[in-house]
Amino acid sequence: MTDDRQAEEQQLIELMIDYQKGDMDAFSGLYEALKRPLIRYLWTFVRNQSAAEDLLQEAFLQLHRARRTYIPPRPVRPWVYAITRHVALMHLRSARRRKEVLPDEALPDVPVPPEVERLADRTTVRRLLAALPRTAQEVLILHHLLGLTFEEVGQVVGVAPGTAKVRAHRAIKAIRDRIAEEEGEG
Amino acid sequence: MSFESVPEGLRAVVERDCRAVQPLHPAWLRTVVAVGVLAVVLALTLASASLRCDIDRLPMWLSWGCSALQLAFGVLLIAMALREAVPGAAVPDGAIRWIAGTAFGVQVLVGVATAIYSPAVAVAGGEVTAGIGCLSREALVVLPTFLVTLWLVFRALPLRAPVAGLLGGAGAAVASDAVLHLICPMSDLRHVLVWHTGAVVLFMAAGWTAGWIWDRMRWPRSS
Repeated sequence: MTDDRQAEEQQLIELMIDYQKGDMDAFSGLYEALKRPLIRYLWTFVRNQSAAEDLLQEAFLQLHRARRTYIPPRPVRPWVYAITRHVALMHLRSARRRKEVLPDEALPDVPVPPEVERLADRTTVRRLLAALPRTAQEVLILHHLLGLTFEEVGQVVGVAPGTAKVRAHRAIKAIRDRIAEEEGEG
Repeated sequence: MSFESVPEGLRAVVERDCRAVQPLHPAWLRTVVAVGVLAVVLALTLASASLRCDIDRLPMWLSWGCSALQLAFGVLLIAMALREAVPGAAVPDGAIRWIAGTAFGVQVLVGVATAIYSPAVAVAGGEVTAGIGCLSREALVVLPTFLVTLWLVFRALPLRAPVAGLLGGAGAAVASDAVLHLICPMSDLRHVLVWHTGAVVLFMAAGWTAGWIWDRMRWPRSS
């Protein structure tokens, strides 16, 4: 973990401890720090801005209800992402039951990890990334874009760190292969 | 810090209930609580019943050794259940399958080895009566640890509640069976597999069901 990342994590831990003591400012600080990365993460579940924003609210409500289950001084982000992921999965499950289909919005907002971005032009990368299975996208986003270690990714999605690493590796390879294929066809 | 960035609805909910909360104790400490209850129940069980009549015929590794091994697996399963109950600390699927499978396998193998080493002991009253007696006793011994473990699991926030419940049920049952193995005089394999292994399966299913129900109540499907 880089020094910046460590300082950021330490700040989140301090905010979370203050929030557990009943400090509203700390909640506000957590919201500010986590809003953007969580929206990006939620994009891997729903490709719709307003749905992602609604889920963000729901995720923060659930984080609030569950705030005592954060155990200091454990890293905050795996705890936050795990609850957010569950909220998103519950939403997808109930949307499936209601046979609700949200329109996929234009792709420009699909978050693209830097490791993937340099493989081809942005449009191609976004298109190929969006075509990956959700489990592969999720690991790529959590590790390469949001900076979680593979161990933390494993704790969020319930797999071994090695499995998370393999999923990310395979996802990048799949994109690379698809780009090579398309270049060959072109 | 300004609250302006927080949407109004969310802010209102949080402001209404922003009291200080006591963070959850670490998983190891909650495991100590569950294991404490387990230890008391198992000590009382051993004190109130006599050891199986063929205990001297069984090698030490098969009687006390296998009991200790089963106990260790049971405690490990309880610890995994309590860890699984904390968001962001999910136990990998592979580890769950491996530990739960091994614990279950050990319970069955101990039964098989005991049947090989010691000839079947007939108990008055018939197989079914003896089996029901064993199942009731097993249920009585498992129940306190099972309930405490599930209470500790559901006080946290298991995101895969049926899995956490299943682990808790398996842990309580496997650990308790470690002592019942030293007490039950029946070494007939059919008796062991149907009534003792059956009890482990029953508590695993009960844990899974409790988790499933808790999950439906905690995360209503209409939302």
